[in-house]
Amino acid sequence: MNIVACVKQVPDTEAQIKVKGDGSGIEEGGIKWVMNPYDEFGVEEALKLKEKLGGDVTIVSVGPARAMETVRTALAMGAEKGILIDDPALYNADAYATAEALAAAIKGIPYDIIFCGQRAIDDDSAQVGAILAELLGIPQVTFVTKLEIDGTAVKATRPIEGASVVVATSRPCVITATKGLNEPRYASLPGIMKAKKKPVDMKKAADLGVSGAAKAKVVKFAPPPARPPGKIICADDTPEGKAAELAKLLREEAKVI
Amino acid sequence: MELSNFSIGHEGREVFWNAEHFEPILFAFTFVALAIFAYGVYRRWLMWTAIGKPEDRTDDRNERIKTLLKNGLLQLKTLADPYPGIMHALIFFGFVVLFFGAAFDATEFHVAEPLGVPFLVGKFYLVFSFLMDLFGLAVLAGVFMALDRRYLTKPDRLGYRGAPDNTADDAIVLLLIGGIIVTGFIIEALRIHVTWQQTPWEVWSFVGWTIAKAFAGVDVGAAKAMHKWTWWIHTAFALSFIAYIPYSRLVHMITTPANYFLENRKPVGFLEPIKDFENAESFGVGTIEEFTWKQIFDSDACTRCGRCQDGCPAYLTGKPLSPKKLVQDLKTYWLEKAPAAVAVRKEQLLADEGEGAKVHPKLKALFGWLNKLDKVVDENLPKGPEPTEKTMVGEVIDLDELWACTNCMYCMENCPASIEHVPKVVGMRQYKVLMEADFAPELQLTYRNMENNSNPWGVGSHLRADWAKELGVKTLAEDPNVEYLFYVGCAGSFDDRGKKVSVALARILQKAGVSFGILGTEESCCGDSAMRGGNEYLYQTMAQANIEVMNGYGVKKVICTCPHGYNALKKDYPNFGGNFEVYHHTEIIAELLEKGKIKIKNPVDDVRFTYHDSCFLGRYNQVYDQPRKIIKAIPGARLVEMERSFGKSFCCGAGGARMWMEEHGARINEARAKQAIDVGAQTIAVGCPFCLTMMSDGLKTHGKEEQMVALDVAEIVWKAMGLEAEPESAEVCQA
Repeated sequence: MNIVACVKQVPDTEAQIKVKGDGSGIEEGGIKWVMNPYDEFGVEEALKLKEKLGGDVTIVSVGPARAMETVRTALAMGAEKGILIDDPALYNADAYATAEALAAAIKGIPYDIIFCGQRAIDDDSAQVGAILAELLGIPQVTFVTKLEIDGTAVKATRPIEGASVVVATSRPCVITATKGLNEPRYASLPGIMKAKKKPVDMKKAADLGVSGAAKAKVVKFAPPPARPPGKIICADDTPEGKAAELAKLLREEAKVI
Repeated sequence: MELSNFSIGHEGREVFWNAEHFEPILFAFTFVALAIFAYGVYRRWLMWTAIGKPEDRTDDRNERIKTLLKNGLLQLKTLADPYPGIMHALIFFGFVVLFFGAAFDATEFHVAEPLGVPFLVGKFYLVFSFLMDLFGLAVLAGVFMALDRRYLTKPDRLGYRGAPDNTADDAIVLLLIGGIIVTGFIIEALRIHVTWQQTPWEVWSFVGWTIAKAFAGVDVGAAKAMHKWTWWIHTAFALSFIAYIPYSRLVHMITTPANYFLENRKPVGFLEPIKDFENAESFGVGTIEEFTWKQIFDSDACTRCGRCQDGCPAYLTGKPLSPKKLVQDLKTYWLEKAPAAVAVRKEQLLADEGEGAKVHPKLKALFGWLNKLDKVVDENLPKGPEPTEKTMVGEVIDLDELWACTNCMYCMENCPASIEHVPKVVGMRQYKVLMEADFAPELQLTYRNMENNSNPWGVGSHLRADWAKELGVKTLAEDPNVEYLFYVGCAGSFDDRGKKVSVALARILQKAGVSFGILGTEESCCGDSAMRGGNEYLYQTMAQANIEVMNGYGVKKVICTCPHGYNALKKDYPNFGGNFEVYHHTEIIAELLEKGKIKIKNPVDDVRFTYHDSCFLGRYNQVYDQPRKIIKAIPGARLVEMERSFGKSFCCGAGGARMWMEEHGARINEARAKQAIDVGAQTIAVGCPFCLTMMSDGLKTHGKEEQMVALDVAEIVWKAMGLEAEPESAEVCQA
């Protein structure tokens, strides 16, 4: 079975994000970059599927040179080969342009099933997997927490409010993974060492025949407003006095009552 | 010499009395016993050398011999535990003296007398016979103590979870030892019974003399006949003992002294770093062949005394781990694996090329002959253990057992045979983590946190120096010209409780005028939890990052508040080019107090302190006195010791990466907190942020958080110096 897993490199969840002075993006210095956690579920599921049914796993990523580290991480987990689409034309790509580049790269290789994370934790757009499926003209199941494959039949479970729904489709298809699907493995040391020597195909936008033109443009990045400091009510020392003061402030200053 | 040659003033005894013609037979039997002994040692030697990677333990020979004499001849390690120590010493020293006695007898008879220079006469003889009886009695006392311990008192450590693991071998050994002595006394008594009128000085052989009275009325002929029989039984016991040594627990008479000689001469707790990650094919210890020969040899020095188990925090809180069981399970596995390996080893030795080519032809001929003998022996004697297909890590050593170890070093410090348990545990963990990546999910998270944010908590690495924001502490980037680097570590940087300790120490150092700086966000995790949790690769990444930064600033002296970082920086970083003088903050504070640079302002009102020894400070680095000195320097402080302290201290449960793992069943920290409660302490003083967390949590579980408190020594000093900041909330409303 030919399995594809798409990965994105994102800042670590704990990283300190600073917006550039001109609002054009974030300061990248000092950021620890990691594999998007939802993509990790996808890679893990791809590897489990391979271990069960045979075949190999190809990792595909769009990103600058540093994204190679994330591709290698997936290779260290056990994937066979990678494709890194690194082109300045794609550095400001939106979900559509990214999916377009991924689709173009994936079209060039055999595939039976494609895994994506349900969203990336940096832009939270949750669109790439869906657009990718549309561009490839294959079915998709998103937010998958359980996956069963039997021949070409695919049964995927996705949570809906207060319950879960089982979707049946057939492969090839796109599965977007979410928490609960599996526990991503920790790479073994021989895995890490072997990953350094596994083939990664470098692609430019032109190789894939895509322009990288975004349909949506980011106008400005801005940090959330700083939270105002807390207030300690001191005016009156009695509980009644404090309560009265609190009510007054909630009404007049916070305007919530 | 004939009996008639002796007289008062020229005392002595006839060696081989009543057994004159037994001598050639005795010689023949002795030869057989020695041959069986030597053959057993040869078979064992094949097994010792057949499995395991090479490891050199012959460097530093003088020191090794000193250790051998101290612990082998003087029995210091064994004596560290009084009852079994004395029990063993009675048997050991008794036997040493009796051995020399027998050697004197033989020399007298075969050498001195024929040469006409007998020496076992006169006063020397009297003292000699007195000592022989005295030490014979000592052995007997030792045997009785052993019988009492093994079959009546039955301490848990001689078994496993209440089930004694007594074997027939244990009983046979005691029977042989006791038998030698009892029959020896009987033949002595019978001889005295017959000859006492001519040899009144035999009263010096006080035991024989006393027993002889019991034979009063037995006629000479019968006594002589009984003497002959007993003499043979005595000889049989003694020769069986010799022959039995390599086939029984008595093999420890060889392996334990050998283990003293082979003892680790590197710092306590030193773990051999893995070198060349790029080209190595396997990491850690997944099969018995991946242990070094010494690590396997260890298990043959184990006498199942259970001292290790007696203070193992995992064992004592009901975890599946017992260091004794671990070593014994490995031994059993080795014995199952050994025959096949020995066959290969023999082939190598007998081959014409390779290693075999280096064997001297005569020696090879001997091996060839012995090999034939081995075949005859193996065909005719009961079969040894069946070869096993079990996997070592997972089946022989259960994974829960493997991961229960806190690396507290109690077993190694207290093992009277110098067995090295902890490196075995870490080696097997390395296999699970590095090769199979099969280990607890919570530990995987910890490692990811360390990879991504260089701390096990996974807090953003940019926040590392936030604790110091208000203190005016400079980073080395701001001012590298300082005497000390305060290596804060992860707990001191990210854990709320640990941060308080960092603040306390920084304030103390500032007040005492010590020149120091921190690395700020350039600091990395020390890597200890990764190393001891088997992730050597991650550990080395952390270590190298720190060393690079520290060497970049030309750091020479380092202060650590966390004993885990302290130990790693001090002992393990030199492996990677990090050579620093590393101090624990209690060492620094104790010195500042001594020099009068710290003034204690606030006495305490008769507070009972107990000090909990952190394993990585105490057993690993012998820092026992400084923290205690500091506490005692505070007026009004009373220091009470818990029963388990100093080298026998009870771990808090957080070492060996256990800090980051789920603990099932009874918790180690609760057991330790209980011990502190039981001595009536009001403050548990600690010198380690992990211990601080564990003790604080333990107090909460026991509902004692109101009455008792766990404090780092730095916090105690900080308060006593009057440096502790006023609570901020009081000022808010005044403003």
